[in-house]
Amino acid sequence: MPMCSNRKGTRRNRRGPFLLALILGVLFLANNAWAQIYLPGPPPEQPSDYGKVILDSYSPAAGMHAVEFDHWQHRARFTCRLCHVDIGFAMEAKATGIQAATIRQGFHCGACHDGKRTFAGKTIFAACSDDRHDQRCVRCHSVGVPNARKEEYRTFTAKLPKAFYGVDWEGAEKSGLIKPVDFLEGVSVRRPPMQSREDFSIKAGYSWVNPIVFSHEKHSIWNGCELCHPEIFPTAKRGTGRYSMFANIEGRFCGACHGKVAFPLNNCRFCHPRAPTWVAQ
Amino acid sequence: MSKTRFIATLFFMGLTAQFGVRASDEPIGAAPQTAQVQQSWQREFEDVCSRTQDAMTFSQAELTALIQRCDALQGKIDKLDDTQKKVYMGRLRMCRGLYAYVLESKRNEKK
Amino acid sequence: MNRKMFFLVSLILIFCVPTLSQTGSKKKRPLPYEYGQVVINNFSDRAGMDPVVFQHWIHRSMFTCRVCHVDVGFGMKAGATGIKAIDNERGYYCGACHNGKKVVDGKTVFQACSTNATSEDQKRCDRCHSLNKKNVASDFDFFKFSAPLPKERFGNGIDWEKSEILGFIAPSKYLDVGSTMNKNLALQKDFSLNPKVEGMPEIIFSHKKHTVWNGCELCHPDIFMGVKKGATKYSMLDISEGRSCGACHTTVAFPIADCQRCHSKPVQP
Repeated sequence: MPMCSNRKGTRRNRRGPFLLALILGVLFLANNAWAQIYLPGPPPEQPSDYGKVILDSYSPAAGMHAVEFDHWQHRARFTCRLCHVDIGFAMEAKATGIQAATIRQGFHCGACHDGKRTFAGKTIFAACSDDRHDQRCVRCHSVGVPNARKEEYRTFTAKLPKAFYGVDWEGAEKSGLIKPVDFLEGVSVRRPPMQSREDFSIKAGYSWVNPIVFSHEKHSIWNGCELCHPEIFPTAKRGTGRYSMFANIEGRFCGACHGKVAFPLNNCRFCHPRAPTWVAQ
Repeated sequence: MSKTRFIATLFFMGLTAQFGVRASDEPIGAAPQTAQVQQSWQREFEDVCSRTQDAMTFSQAELTALIQRCDALQGKIDKLDDTQKKVYMGRLRMCRGLYAYVLESKRNEKK
Repeated sequence: MNRKMFFLVSLILIFCVPTLSQTGSKKKRPLPYEYGQVVINNFSDRAGMDPVVFQHWIHRSMFTCRVCHVDVGFGMKAGATGIKAIDNERGYYCGACHNGKKVVDGKTVFQACSTNATSEDQKRCDRCHSLNKKNVASDFDFFKFSAPLPKERFGNGIDWEKSEILGFIAPSKYLDVGSTMNKNLALQKDFSLNPKVEGMPEIIFSHKKHTVWNGCELCHPDIFMGVKKGATKYSMLDISEGRSCGACHTTVAFPIADCQRCHSKPVQP
């Protein structure tokens, strides 16, 4: 069989490798575009929009405005663990399967929004009444409805320390301005506290990237253990889990919280403390 | 018709009557003693597999004997109809499996 | 040519794989009345019927795990048993109780699967073949049922163990399918399992608690085949994928989200 590569570039010979390179290049770019190549997108312009979750699995079909859930209202008052572990909300929009029926049964939002539970001396309004024309509906089903919200972001967060994306929640708790509640009567079950783990450093995937300093203590104060383990971080032995910035930007692993609700990934030094200053935004 | 052909025809007709497709769920080959045959393997099964919770108290010889009885039962259960075979094979597998497991762990202890 | 194809395919996979994996995100948590639900669809689709939805919470209050999974012979995974309508009609599997004659807790159990069912029987068929159906007839209401029972986190939200101890439920160990007599087992002692991760409290495993409902053959050797204690190594990842403890403690028994139910031995300071 004669060696085709000895022949000087006939069009047919050049086409094959060129096509291959083209296909691979397109696939590579498409893959990266999908993972939002290299850098995470900036946080929303309005800090009040950071942590907003739009829920519209069933509302439009039911003839109602979609639900707008604001994290800032709730995380100032409750730990992440309370809602995401004890009550059982998922960590992605529309993944929980919340319906008016489940709320009325006392699950999901209905665990607190039942018209009976009180917080800070006030009764929490009941969600999802049977009366369609009840003015209460628009308190949550408010996408596209101007001035529907009772609580205003600016006044609510006026005294809280700020960060580039919104509120510096860690700082707010340290200064005692917020005291997130971690127990819900009738839903939570008290457990003996688990031993707090020491901070440790995680080697980055590339040798030229500074290591991450991870604090279990900072995370477990608000999240407990069950929020992350084993679903988000399934491996038990340190260093055996493999995930990249791509995965984080996609919303998996660290990105399950960091990018949507907890501080976003834009400022590298929040996690890579020894990153050079020119990298930080 | 020749004598041979006549006898052969009768013979095959008899075979068909015995082993042909049946509408009922009784095991093929079951003649008038159906109920008794069924009960005997079932009794054996219940006798062998009712002792699983005492497995840890048996000697290795007793466990070996029980496993052999399970193996013998397997042959009988294999001949049952689809449903019974499916059910009892599964139950026998678990029963024999446990005895074999306990036997192995006893052998391992001795080592 | 084959080598080229292999090379090409592997290159494509290398470039595409990062976006295909799905680990690292939280799954949907089933509601208390959905937890333990098993959808069985070996043959329903073929027969033009909705797949069967089996609720564990109704049945586990009445029978031990062993009665169904060992004596009656149900498998431990959806679809593993291969139940057919004819099996039920002959009095096996679901038909061991669902035969229109058996009485449990004073109620006659409705018959499952009759091959000469008419359209009037449709309501009865729908009681089990109920995936995607609303307002299916049921003798049990989860909220009424679970209201008096002691509560726990996750799963059904019910502390089944405590419910039995306090006498709210009395799961039967016997069924007339040739149930093997379950006398008191020669009790195995509780023992502790060392977690792989330092700092995690040790797991106290209670054979007693498990054998009361499961007997021996449900776990050995199918789920736990190692004969030497401590010889088989399995991790939380194995468990979360349904192996070892995860055969039950991900979908029916209390889920592994509740760390301290197993990791209960206090770590010595």
